[in-house]
Amino acid sequence: MAIRVNLDRILLERRMSLTELATQVNLTLANLSILKTGKAKAIRFSTLNKLCRVLQCQPGEILAYEPSDDDALEEAADQAAE
Amino acid sequence: MKALGKGSVASVVEVVLRIASWVLWASLGGLAVVAIAYAVIYIMIGAGWVDASTLAGGGFRISIFGVDSDAIGDVRWADWHVVVPSLLVVGILVGGALIVVSRLRLLFDSFTSGEPFRRENATHLRVIWITMLAMEIGRYVLMAGAAAMLAAVGPAESADITISIDFSNWLSIAVLFVLAEVFREGARLKEEQELTI
Repeated sequence: MAIRVNLDRILLERRMSLTELATQVNLTLANLSILKTGKAKAIRFSTLNKLCRVLQCQPGEILAYEPSDDDALEEAADQAAE
Repeated sequence: MKALGKGSVASVVEVVLRIASWVLWASLGGLAVVAIAYAVIYIMIGAGWVDASTLAGGGFRISIFGVDSDAIGDVRWADWHVVVPSLLVVGILVGGALIVVSRLRLLFDSFTSGEPFRRENATHLRVIWITMLAMEIGRYVLMAGAAAMLAAVGPAESADITISIDFSNWLSIAVLFVLAEVFREGARLKEEQELTI
């Protein structure tokens, strides 16, 4: 996935544990762990909103785009489909 | 009565499929015993160990879909050119039915557990439609082969075989093909929903 989740860096900067964040944003630790490890397929605006509110940051600080080989393959497939 | 989960229609169907599976296994076993016994007796007759009159019995009618039983007439055990293709056709039908029933059991097992949209279910449906397609095509090939064999070595009137095309089978195959893709898409959406935070 070309979208990287910077949750661990932000948590480190805020000196906050994942459990604390989970309690404050009202998410399960398991779900937050899925998000942190980049296994999530999607994130709801409501979740992003809660994370930004609790961590006092912008969505762009939590999520970052990094081009990968998968992207090039996907683009080629899209072009072939057109 | 609910459709999915424990105590549902799916659980009742699952029990029926389990019984059907036992019956099919028993039929396949019986068929294997008959085929082996027939081959052994034929070999023994060929070697001169047993008298050819051992296979004089019979005079029974066989009923195979697509084959006019009147055209074949009374089958005797000595008519190997009728008995062997018949055993093959029945073997393929029972074997195919067993594959279909075992996959249906796995499908209904997951329906009973209340989770229909699993990736494996799409694969089960795919195996079912491919098996049904193979059985349908195999039936035509075997009927044509049996007709050619009867024309070559059997009595002239027994070669009168009609091959019928059953459109309901082809429709079932098409429906299963589409259903398999629907389940694949359903499983994908469920996975995505589970991984949406």
